[in-house]
Amino acid sequence: MVKVKHTESDSTTSNEFEFGTTSSDVEVTTSERLRDIYEEFVYKPGLVAWDDRRTRIGSIILFAYVLIGTVGVWLYEAPATNQDPRSLQPFEQFFVAPLGTTGSGEDVLAMAIHATPAMLIMVLAGGVFATGFAVLIGTVAGYKGGATDRLLTTFSDIAMSIPGLPLIMVVAIILSPENPAVIGVIITINYWAGLARSIRSQVLAIREHSYVEASRTMGTGTTRIIVKDIIPNIMPYVLVNFANAARYVIFAAVGLYYLGVLPTSVSNWGIQLNNAYKQAGALSGGGTFYQLLVPMAFIMFIALAFILLAQGMDRVFNPRVRTRMAGESKSESDDDTDTAAPTEVMN
Amino acid sequence: MNSYFVKRTGRAILTIWLVMTLTFGMIRLIPGGPIEMLRARLIRQGVDPSRIDAIVQTYKQDPTPVYVEYYEYVTSLLSGNMGQSFYYQEPVSALIVDALPWTVFVMVTATILLFVIAILLGALMAYHEGTAFDTAASSASILLSSIPFYVLAIGFVVVLSYQFGLFPARYRMSPGVEPGFTVQFLSNAIYHAALPIASVVLTQAGLQALAMRGNSIQVLGEDFVRVARLRGLSDRRIAVRYVGRNAILPMYTGFLTLIGFNIGGSVILEQVFTYPGIGYYMYQALINRDYALMMGVFLIITTTLVVSVYIADLTYGLIDPRVQSGGQSEAY
Amino acid sequence: MTQSHDQHTEHIAVDDPIIEVRDASVTYDEGTSYVLDGVSLDLGRGEILGVVGESGSGKSMLASALLDAVPDPGLLSGTIEYHPDSGAATDILELDTEDLRALRWEEISMVFQGAMSSFNPTMSLRKHFVETLEAHDEDVEAGMDRAHELLEDLYLEPDRVLSSYPHELSGGMQQRALIALSLVLEPEVLVMDEPTAALDLLMQRSILLLLDDLKEKYDLTMLFITHDLPLVAALADRMAIMYAFRLIEIGQTEEIINHAAHPYTRALLNSTPNLDAPLEEMRPIEGQSPAPINMPDGCAYHPRCPLAEDQCRTEVPDFHIVAGDHGSACFNWRESYDEIELVHLDDGERAIPEGDRQ
Repeated sequence: MVKVKHTESDSTTSNEFEFGTTSSDVEVTTSERLRDIYEEFVYKPGLVAWDDRRTRIGSIILFAYVLIGTVGVWLYEAPATNQDPRSLQPFEQFFVAPLGTTGSGEDVLAMAIHATPAMLIMVLAGGVFATGFAVLIGTVAGYKGGATDRLLTTFSDIAMSIPGLPLIMVVAIILSPENPAVIGVIITINYWAGLARSIRSQVLAIREHSYVEASRTMGTGTTRIIVKDIIPNIMPYVLVNFANAARYVIFAAVGLYYLGVLPTSVSNWGIQLNNAYKQAGALSGGGTFYQLLVPMAFIMFIALAFILLAQGMDRVFNPRVRTRMAGESKSESDDDTDTAAPTEVMN
Repeated sequence: MNSYFVKRTGRAILTIWLVMTLTFGMIRLIPGGPIEMLRARLIRQGVDPSRIDAIVQTYKQDPTPVYVEYYEYVTSLLSGNMGQSFYYQEPVSALIVDALPWTVFVMVTATILLFVIAILLGALMAYHEGTAFDTAASSASILLSSIPFYVLAIGFVVVLSYQFGLFPARYRMSPGVEPGFTVQFLSNAIYHAALPIASVVLTQAGLQALAMRGNSIQVLGEDFVRVARLRGLSDRRIAVRYVGRNAILPMYTGFLTLIGFNIGGSVILEQVFTYPGIGYYMYQALINRDYALMMGVFLIITTTLVVSVYIADLTYGLIDPRVQSGGQSEAY
Repeated sequence: MTQSHDQHTEHIAVDDPIIEVRDASVTYDEGTSYVLDGVSLDLGRGEILGVVGESGSGKSMLASALLDAVPDPGLLSGTIEYHPDSGAATDILELDTEDLRALRWEEISMVFQGAMSSFNPTMSLRKHFVETLEAHDEDVEAGMDRAHELLEDLYLEPDRVLSSYPHELSGGMQQRALIALSLVLEPEVLVMDEPTAALDLLMQRSILLLLDDLKEKYDLTMLFITHDLPLVAALADRMAIMYAFRLIEIGQTEEIINHAAHPYTRALLNSTPNLDAPLEEMRPIEGQSPAPINMPDGCAYHPRCPLAEDQCRTEVPDFHIVAGDHGSACFNWRESYDEIELVHLDDGERAIPEGDRQ
């Protein structure tokens, strides 16, 4: 059962995730505002995140990928046909190609490493687009209500009803995108819809809170209320879903490359998988299994990073288990049932 | 309730129609039509160029404006005709009728199975929160969820099929097996579906189990569970009627949506297993620019998605007494 | 000043106790922090005892302790003896699981604060009653007849309420339905933890009146826990005041209201607005009550107490007999009469109580 510890760090964290700052109408300069944004969206969540083992490991793995994607590609030679002897086994000639080469003499590790930067850009673009658009649609629909709500809800319902993967495939073939940022956006072309729907229902609950009502009574504008009172409250949820969207982008992107729907002129783990899988079928032996394992490992670890981040943040931000000790009145369980939206995941 | 039902049904139909129109338009934007694909295929097969021209000529039709094509498609669709597959030279409806049951079988079984496992495992983890079992199960769930289902599928095929020959690597059933209510057919179908189902279940159950775990822990902390214990109810009853029911409720919509999602995901899965379901045909239609087949499959997948969300919305009010279906929000 | 002729005692006993609590403590963190600290208390058969304390004073923990239902991972020690009408007394803390299950709700029942959260939101009220009866092997039909009667006694329409889901009832209706549910097995003792906290004043008053009627009709003993001193003063025969997980004063309601001897009780009385006192005379208590990990040595109230002296900082006072069955855990209870005036009393009433003039 829950151990309740009243340590220093505990009390700091509980202060830390008070996202709902109710700063008033004091005018602030741009730099102050930027610092506020940094405090709200980077520093504080970061501090909280570091406190949880899951998010810590997740961040470390993700940081490793960023290193691979920036420094790694610069340090490690790019893959090329016949750059090395063909079909080297892993560790066979460690200093030539540590994890072996393909049948056409490409360094397997180099292929995996040089696929990383594009993946990271895709993830970032897809995540930002999906969550950003979902927040926009969800908050406006939830807050404005009425006809706006009906219109936006119908819009996201329809977007949600389009089968994601087939739609992405068709769009990918039409546009044949090479730019990873564009690919990221295409992949999340209707992923935002489900998220927008759950953000909407959260906003519906938040807008009834007394402080939002107070702002409204005082004549504060809609945009300001949304930015000041509502967004900070859904931010933890959005961050968790950013990580979920990121994982979705990875799975879908690699899947599309695997199917050969996206241009195959670049390096991608999915292309590696496809080539290796075909060979494995043709040779029907375990001899080429390493060619599968390397891209698999690259996919799994980055996905693992995002799952750990999502799970960890979820736990830090929604401490579902209340400290059962303080004993007395548990009456302040204000955020009950439906904030625990089901984890919707595809793939 | 009744007007909500009418509205919701109307919206479902509207959605299907909109998606159909959108798809119809989008598919015409795909570069390279069916004729080009046919020509390319024939060239690859080394057919004599003059012969190719002749073949291609027989397929050439007078170009019809898109809106006429659209009108014709919609009218024939309303009479149940989904057109002719250019690539397979068969009616699209026949292909879909043949393929859909297999995909539904694989994906619905997989989704039900993964939810059953997730609910049981998640509840167990919640009841043993903080124990070694909980930590191990949580870690395993997270690790398994970091594998895309098709990666596990590839791993399964390479290791279990190619290496050890334990399971078939492709197709829905062995050649020579006749579909029907026979033990041989059913066991053969299950044998072929085992790996596809397993790759979906294993990679998706983890996150659902963690969601169930979180929900259950939350419910376990609720006052009404404590009161129920004090009222002397049996642990079993509390686990099922109190914790289970209230923890599963928020996952219900997710369950139906996931079925729809997974049917869309069959495009990759069926490619890995060369499993001729609708996802497999979707891919074939796409690379061969088989418009009619693509439209048909897209429409079917969309319909399953819309219908599953529709069912979720309509039935949620029945299983959760707190929700009155169709509540409208006041406008600000 | 001397206290040598003071009479002290570990606890204030009553003639015919139905529950005797002796030295009940609840600890967390392997005994390092107390959330209930050596409470001894008698509950007299047929009385209404009001337990008053701020939130965080351990009063809910006391309620849970009476049913041996302290939330995990709290550890409950001491003895809690239950004396049924006939038969031998039992120590509740010694009961095995099955006996404890039978005791709860059949002998000692409980109403929690926040009725809404006490019902399973996905189950109708009828099911709540039926499953409770079934769990205790009661005759369901007879039990449901009782439920109907109880609901009627509480001015509810039985059929409508029973076929409703919790969220379909108003807060007041839920609270009354919960009281009916807690009485459906005809318990001897009803423990109520802030049963009216979430309700408006009017509803609070009417529920209190109903409780008084129920108590007469069903011959109940009640332990009523609240932070609302005037509320319980209208209902209770005796009152017990808790501060920082300890019981610090206990006595007849009249006696406590008019002759409270503990500085905290007196401050509490003075901080309460509705006891006919003008608002300007209301005096909030300065400072904060301590947290379980930061308990001061000696009397827990000494950091806030105007009368605190060295002894208070080192020794935990036991009950000093003020008068009859009025005990106050304070070394300087005599001084508090002069030092802390009760604002709600007329000058004539501010006399030294009986007990001190003996």
